[in-house]
Parts: sequence; structure tokens; C-alpha cells
Amino acid sequence: MDLRPAEVTSILEKEIANYQGDASMQSVGTVLSVGDGVARVWGLDDCMMNELLEFSGGVRGVALNLEEDNVGCVLLGDATQVKEGDQVKTTGRIISVPTGPSLLGRVVNALGDPVDGRGPLAVSEDDYWQIEQPAPSVVERKGVFEPMLTGLKAVDAMIPVGRGQRELVIGDRQTGKSALLVDTIINQKRTGGGDPENPEQMICIYVAMGQKQSTVVDVVNRLEAAGAMPYTIVVSAPAIDEASMQYLAAYAGCTMGERFRDEGRHVVIMYDDLYKQALAYRQVMLLLRRPPGREAFPGDVFNLHSRLLERAAKLADNAPEINPRYKAGGGSLTALPVVETQESDVSAYIPTNVISITDGQIYLESNLFNAGVRPAVNAGISVSRVGGNAQTKAMKKIAGSLRLDLAQYRELQAFAQFGSDLDKATQQTLRRGERMVEILKQGQYVPMAVEDQIMIIYAGTSGALDEVPADRVAEFEKSFLQHMADANPDVGEEIRTSGQELSDDAKSKLDDAAKAVKAQMGL
Amino acid sequence: MLDPVTTRYVEALFNLATREGVLDRVERDVEKLAGELTAPGVGEFYFDARLSQDARRLKIDSLLTSAHQLTKNFVHLLFDKRREDVLRNLGAAFHARALAERNTAEGVVESARPLGAGEIAQLAETLGRKLGKSVTLKNEIDPGLVGGVRVIVESKMLDRSVRGRLDGLRKKMEEAPLPSAQS
Repeated sequence: MDLRPAEVTSILEKEIANYQGDASMQSVGTVLSVGDGVARVWGLDDCMMNELLEFSGGVRGVALNLEEDNVGCVLLGDATQVKEGDQVKTTGRIISVPTGPSLLGRVVNALGDPVDGRGPLAVSEDDYWQIEQPAPSVVERKGVFEPMLTGLKAVDAMIPVGRGQRELVIGDRQTGKSALLVDTIINQKRTGGGDPENPEQMICIYVAMGQKQSTVVDVVNRLEAAGAMPYTIVVSAPAIDEASMQYLAAYAGCTMGERFRDEGRHVVIMYDDLYKQALAYRQVMLLLRRPPGREAFPGDVFNLHSRLLERAAKLADNAPEINPRYKAGGGSLTALPVVETQESDVSAYIPTNVISITDGQIYLESNLFNAGVRPAVNAGISVSRVGGNAQTKAMKKIAGSLRLDLAQYRELQAFAQFGSDLDKATQQTLRRGERMVEILKQGQYVPMAVEDQIMIIYAGTSGALDEVPADRVAEFEKSFLQHMADANPDVGEEIRTSGQELSDDAKSKLDDAAKAVKAQMGL
Repeated sequence: MLDPVTTRYVEALFNLATREGVLDRVERDVEKLAGELTAPGVGEFYFDARLSQDARRLKIDSLLTSAHQLTKNFVHLLFDKRREDVLRNLGAAFHARALAERNTAEGVVESARPLGAGEIAQLAETLGRKLGKSVTLKNEIDPGLVGGVRVIVESKMLDRSVRGRLDGLRKKMEEAPLPSAQS
């Protein structure tokens, strides 16, 4: 970063001009005890809840416990610089983070300070928003109706997510939860060509809490390679950060997203993951001596997540008339929280809490993952409570048959090993189901356009794949989509633009293409 | 630092003394007692958990021979309730309570050079108007301030020192968005 003397001079000039400025009094206190990232301070009579405090070494802290005779606060920096007896000052500022377009493409920490080594953010004082904001009220909201496409066949067809929805991604470690999120971010490039200036472009915010630093770097590199960084903000609070930063990062990221939402843009925010965030919160609260409850989590751990996820919303078109806080109506903030389960136990405390708050969940299973079904979505217990309204008619229609085929397959799966001993109808159901599972498999970092998804799923549900051996389905899919793009590009165009069910004409073209490709494959 | 327990006990003693009209007498007792308890080498004896409570009580009784009955009762009550720790901050807490009663506050004015009595009085008066109570200030010298004054009254601070200004300027410089970063 190069410093221009003229700029420094201008700052000094302002300072000198206002030297006589206000002689307002500050509240001060003394550090009674400090340790484990938490300090108790005596004094600070006028301290506000969540107020930013300044310790004598320049370290910042946040007041979280206002008690009769002391203030409990968490430190947001190097705690070793704070000593007992140090002076603490209030700043009069509730903890806030920078927001706005200058954050796009950047990696920032929980306080909004850049950590990617690419210089300071271009933000003004007005761009700082408090990290705790009230959620939109009932009248300021609207039903979810636009799709937020992940680019994954298994999700977009069976567990559709709408803009403004909160869909939980849940599963054990190593089941592809973060991979699903990264694919979703990459797929958002389709919404506006990856140009953040384009009002159609989805803004993505990836909040990494309690992750390994190497994982965060990996995600950022992946996004950069896919050209997804220009419309993405990464909020990084890795495991090495103070627990307080890890738990505040979710709110910081949410505030950054709200800025865009309130300006009428569409945003998708991913909290990876809320279980680790709850652990960080538990640590801080126990150190502040708040009474522990179930599993030693504080009593407000439900509120911790509900007040965060309630801020995801689809705003009404007339929201600015109701509340001047909104600059434009119609914006949305979609939340994809992640919860890591331990040994597939979805009935543990935090998973059940978050399941009850969200509008459905995508359940990823390690058995499926290990059996090669990736994304390892368990279609049986994954649901989306509101996303159906956001699906196009064509997708809704074929997804219905897909779900049916899969459900029948699951029912009969136990008989699969008896092979030829079964009657014709059962064998047919099993064959169809196998093909369907194959169709829903998808590689990482290759999200698909929704029209391609519809075409290949249609081929499956129409029975065109029944003669194709299960291990050659992927090959068929590739040639089939290629064939459609070359010979009948109008079908894809029609699906994309019309929003209606597949026309008979399109269906016959798809059937013909399937036949041609099968012939090509020698079937 | 005053813990809530000490504050409550002292409040009770103070109120009772006021009602019985013996505040001055009790205040003197408390001052004397606090002086004894904080004397180096002696004070810790009263709080030494290895000694029996009776031994400590006898010892402290010897300090209270000339004290008012109220003070005696107060100290005995503390021992009965096993709240001897209240004695540690008794002096400070009683003093703070007495100041609050008179609506006064004590503070420190730090400066790089000694201030004249007139300057201190003027400062005290201005601050007193701001805080709505009469303020008495004690001058402390801190050459690190370079110039100006820094006043700390109760938990309020007014920093008009050159040092504070420089620190504020440094922070502003670190946080200032540079025009070159915005383009």
C-alpha cells in the first residue's frame, strides 16, 4: 500500500481544525481480571450492551455482561497485551462492520477487517452497520417464489430452495457439506454472468466459522479458479481466532448481506458451520459465568441461531414504504446454514434446534457418500417446506415422477439381491430406481444449468434409460446433453424462458435424441 | 473495587449511624479501623484463615475499645456471619458512601507540570457543573502526558492531554480510508 503525503496531510488538517472540538467525557474502567479471551472490568458506568471497548494496548473488546458491580467483556484481539489494572475506555459505538460493494471479492475477518493482504476497504463511516439488526417484520416480507438454484440435480429437483428461504445443510463430517455450498456459489454465476454490477447477479457470502485455515484458503482458491470471487464475500473466523470472533462472524456476514438485501439485491449466505459457532458461543458464555444449561450450552443458544436465521427474508415490493430502512423492495437473503452432526445423530441438541428454525433440510449421509452416491443427499428425509413454490412448472412435473420412482425403489431395495427371482414389475421398479440414482450423481465443481437438469431427468423418468446399463448412465448423460445442445438448442431455450411444462414437441425431440444417443452407444 | 456485599453492609451501617445521629463518631471509628487493617504486616493477621475465628475476634476487639457501640456491633456481626472479608474494603466503601451522601466526588487531575490551586479549583468547578455534584481534585504529575490535563472522576474521564490527542490521531490515521484506496 502506498501512502500519499497529501492524503496524510488532509487527515491532519481536519484533525487540527477540530482540535478544540467537543470535550465530552468518556466512561473509563479498570481491568479486574483477564484470561481466556475474557476480561472483567470495574467502572464503565455508562457502558452499553454490545458496545465496543478499547483497552490501553489498543486491543478492542465487546461488553456482553453488564452486572451490578462489573462489566464482562470478550477481547477481540491479542489478549496477552491486556493486563490487570489496565485502563478501559468506552467508544460509544455498538459493534459494527463495514458493508457495501467494496467488500465483494474480499476475504475479511469477523470485524470486517480485510485479511487477504489486498489493502484497506474503501468504506465511509456510513457504511458501518451494527452487527445485530432486527429481522424484517411480517408486513415487510413476502412469500418465497423465485428459485435459488444450486446447480445440483439432486437438490434442485427434489429439495428446491427459494430465494429468501432458510435451508439447513446437515450431515456428518466428510459428507460433502462444504462442497455443496461451493458448487452453489459457483452456480450463481449463471444469474448475472458473474458481474457484481448486474442487478440480477446473486451475491454470495461464505462465513467460515471454526474451520481450518487451510480449508478456507482452499475454498477461496476454488472460487477464484471458477471465477466466482467477484460476487462473493468470504468472512473468515478460523479455529485459530478467538472464540468471540468465531461466534460474531455469523452476524457480521449477515449484516453484510442485509446491506445488499435492503438495496433490492438477491443474496445467499452460508454459515459453515453453526455447530462450531455454538461451541464458540458456549465457551465465551461459560467464561463469562453465564449459567450453563443442557450440554453446558447457555440458555439462549436457541435464540442465538433463531435471531440469526430470522434475518433471512424475501422482502415485499413495498417494503420501503413501510420502513424507510429499506432502500428498495423485492430483495432477498437466502440462508444456507450448515450443521455438522456427530455420528449421524440428528436428534442432538443443536441439530434439532436448527432443524426447527429452518424451512427444511438437505440431509447428507456418509453411507451414501461412501457408496459413491455424490452428492450424498438422502432424498427420503430431506425436505424443503417452501421451495416448491419457487420451482418451474417443468421441473415440478418431472420431479414428481422422480420422487415417486425413488421412493418405490427404496421400498424394494432390500429385495435387489434376489435378482431374477422377482416378478417383472418389481424388477422394472428396481431397474428404474438404479438409473435414477445414477442420474442424480454429479461431479464436484460442475453445477448444471436447470434446463440440462430437466432434460436428463425427463429422459430418466420417461424410461428411455431403462435399457442403458447403470454404469454407462454418466456416458449417456454427457452424449445426450451434447446432442441436445448441438441438434436442438431450441428445447433448452424453451425450457429456460417459457416457465411452462414441457411441450409435446419438446418431449418428442427429447425422446428422439435419447434414441439417437442410445444407437450411437451401440444399445 | 467494591463488591456488592461490602456495599450493602456499609449502607446498613451508614444509614443506622445517620438515624442515630452518630455518623461523625462512626466515621472516625471506621477510618481508624481501616487504617489499622491496611497497615503493612498487621492487616493480614485478621484475615488469616489458619487462625481460629475467636483469636481474630479477640484481636480486633482490642482495636475497638474506644469505638462506638454501633461500630462494635457491626464488626461482631461480620464475624458472626463469616463476612470478615467486608473489612478489607470497609474504609473505601464507607468513604464512597459518605461522598455520595454529600453529593460530592473525588477525582484526580493528571498533568505534565504541577497545577496551581486556582487552576485546579476552576477545573473542579467546571466538572462539578457537568456532573451535577461538587468535585474535589487531587493533582498528580505525569510527564508522559507532554501537555494538557487528564481528569478522572469516578468512572468518567476527560482527556485533554497532548498524549491522548496523539493517540487519538494515531488511531484515526490507522482507520482513515485513504482516497487512493477508494479509486
